[in-house]
Amino acid sequence: MSVRTEPRTFNRFAARDTSTDLVSLLTQARLVRINRVTQEAEPWLAESWARSDDGLRYTIKLWPNVSFSDGHPFTADDVVFSFEAVYDQKTGSALADSLKMGGRKLTVTEVDPLTVVVAFPAPFAPGLRILDNLPIIPRHKLEAALKAGVFASAWGLSTPPADIVGLGPFVVSQYLPGQRLVLVRNPHYWRKDASGTPLPYLDRLTIDIVPDESAEVLRLESGQIDMTFSSVAPESYAIVKRAADAGRVKLMDLGVAYDADSFWFNLKPGAFAADARAPWLQRDELRRAISMAVDRQLFADTVFLGAGVPVYGPITPGNKKWYAAEAPHAAHDPARARELLGSIGLSDRNGDGVLENARNQPARFTLLTQKGRPSLERGAAVIRDELKKVGLVVDVVSLDAGALIQRILSANYDSVYFDPGASDTDPAINPDFWFSFGDAHFWNMMQKTPATEWEKRIDELMTRQIASPDEAERKRLFDDVQTIFAEHLPVINFVAPRIYVAASVRVTNLTPALSRPQLLWGADTIAVKR
Amino acid sequence: MDNMLIYMARRAAFAVFLVFAVSSASLVLARLAPGDYVTTSLGIDARRETIEQARARYGLNRSVGEQYRDWVVRAARLDLGRSLIYDRPVADLIPERAANTAVLALTALLAATLVGLPLGVITGSRQGGIVPLAIRAMSLILLSTPPLLTSLFLVFVAARTGWLPVGGMSAAGGAGGASLDLLRHLVVPAAALAMPLAAMFERLQAQAMSDVVGQPYVLATLARGVPRSRMVWRDALKAALRPVAALYGLVVGTLLSGSFAVEVITAWPGLGRLMLDALRARDVYLVAGCAAAGSLFLAAGTLMSDAALALVDPRTSE
Repeated sequence: MSVRTEPRTFNRFAARDTSTDLVSLLTQARLVRINRVTQEAEPWLAESWARSDDGLRYTIKLWPNVSFSDGHPFTADDVVFSFEAVYDQKTGSALADSLKMGGRKLTVTEVDPLTVVVAFPAPFAPGLRILDNLPIIPRHKLEAALKAGVFASAWGLSTPPADIVGLGPFVVSQYLPGQRLVLVRNPHYWRKDASGTPLPYLDRLTIDIVPDESAEVLRLESGQIDMTFSSVAPESYAIVKRAADAGRVKLMDLGVAYDADSFWFNLKPGAFAADARAPWLQRDELRRAISMAVDRQLFADTVFLGAGVPVYGPITPGNKKWYAAEAPHAAHDPARARELLGSIGLSDRNGDGVLENARNQPARFTLLTQKGRPSLERGAAVIRDELKKVGLVVDVVSLDAGALIQRILSANYDSVYFDPGASDTDPAINPDFWFSFGDAHFWNMMQKTPATEWEKRIDELMTRQIASPDEAERKRLFDDVQTIFAEHLPVINFVAPRIYVAASVRVTNLTPALSRPQLLWGADTIAVKR
Repeated sequence: MDNMLIYMARRAAFAVFLVFAVSSASLVLARLAPGDYVTTSLGIDARRETIEQARARYGLNRSVGEQYRDWVVRAARLDLGRSLIYDRPVADLIPERAANTAVLALTALLAATLVGLPLGVITGSRQGGIVPLAIRAMSLILLSTPPLLTSLFLVFVAARTGWLPVGGMSAAGGAGGASLDLLRHLVVPAAALAMPLAAMFERLQAQAMSDVVGQPYVLATLARGVPRSRMVWRDALKAALRPVAALYGLVVGTLLSGSFAVEVITAWPGLGRLMLDALRARDVYLVAGCAAAGSLFLAAGTLMSDAALALVDPRTSE
């Protein structure tokens, strides 16, 4: 198989790039796994668990007779150690934020070698689901590094493969910098299939590093690799489809993605205080007009070459459990968009096709997007062209990822078109997006008190949504959140792409899922025809 | 001889200055550009507290001046810092990748020389005919095709035919012996680099050859009854090699420092790819290290070129 970039480390606690995450998924295991197909949490290293009546404490029983890849027994002590490592201040783990609630840590206590108690600081409806983020690592191998304050540097790429020990289906056998990573079967892996055959089925998994997408697709269709980590890009779809029609690869349509690209304005109060555009740039009417002005079907056809569906909010129809089909959405209606723009003082006063304010200044704003991402750059161009039709002038500026993120974090922009993505399908696990005080509340981050009444209302609903043990009530509450969101459109979503993945016809037992890694999340049961 | 030594010492000093200036400028520019390694690696949804902790850990919360001063002090001891991406010393990362780039570049150079120079002799020593015309036309096409496109085309051919590996430097399992495996993997990237280079050598050599064959002493040699082919391949070629030889070192330098497009397309694990990864991730120390290595290659090439020129034409060193 292939990845575009090489992993930055073998220590998942120290980096969050996709290749490091993939290697961690293949070489380590979690207490709880999110089944990527059902999106339900299921026991993994945990055999079972029981929740206390107040919903704050989970007593987790671990599978007996489980060993790390070096044969050392796995116990509750390793679970405690993994939590110590992730919360270690010196390490500054990239995983720590995803295992905190409002900045507060979970506490973990060892009851006996096969039992741990995980306590949450407040009621948290998704419960142990968040433990899918935490690989369990061996105390006997890494405790010295943690004590010495150098845990973040442990298990770097120059570490001898034999020293990298895990509970996953594979172990690292060879790493050739810039070329490939070879994983082989973990002889001590603890899972067996229904007939009692030890897993994984594969003896070896070679991960080639292929930085160029076109070269990656060529390798796939010529049979030099069996699958790619990345899904099939719209530009490559035709080539892969031809290979599929010729019987060389399997092309799988996984459906509508969980995430849609996002367009938002800088809604920080006072951001445009000294700007003549202040009276209209942060108005709800502008965002509603833009949502109506853009033809989403045209957007899907142009940006995703037809492989996308119109969406009207951040939760797409792909997220079946949480999608609010009844949330309001306005159809494509340029005439109504012009009316809305007129209601905030923007009209074409000199007949040049461009809207102006009362002081005859053109309605113009800058749209930042990420350079080198074809779908984002095409999307920004479509937004510019569609808004030109209703008289808005958009200047598209493409920046590299670092510069773009810096501009967003410092609230130094007019508007942005980007794909921030969500870390989980359950909204309670992305609170920073929904809460006004959140770090990922992109349009106006980390508010001390909610800037608007509707954000205050969303805060209240989400507080209840996160705490409620009743799934039906959680759904109702989140439907309300999506309705408020659709009324005020702090983020405008246009299209969610369809996700396609491809694999060689010789690969069997695949259970493809929408979330990453679409093909390899169940790597221990994948097999190949000889 | 003294003049020559002074000349070479002056050029070597300039080479050291070039390496220092290029790596310094790379570090400062990478640091001054908006965003940094932390924003790039932690992403848009990281908590501010986490971002600030990471900046402090990597020393990115210090001023550019402070960071540059520390780097210069350490670089003077040949410590180029620690890569932020790989958490390894830059001085360890660079040699392994530079060696891969050197293998690729020198193979391409050898191939381009063996093909380009003889073809240049043919086209430069003949006034008409279909063969020189075809070679000239091919050279112009190859010269105007960027290596990026050439490598994409070759990768496409390799994938379609299955004759050669599509990319990488070795096969998993390494069937058929390491040297043979490396040679098979070298064909596509080396050809992508060598083709425009061979065309350039052909054009240069043809021009030099055509100048030489018009010289009175060559005409006199022919008039004395020396066979034309002997005159061309022995006497005229010797004289016509000088301008190409003078340019050779420079070509070596640019090849070693500028093959990154080919490396990306063909997944060749060289210095160019490392530099690209470093730039994308805003790994300032690795960017500076790669720039230093690239400029070192360029400086070495220029030095070789200067030396060759000084040897061929002693007036240069005066």
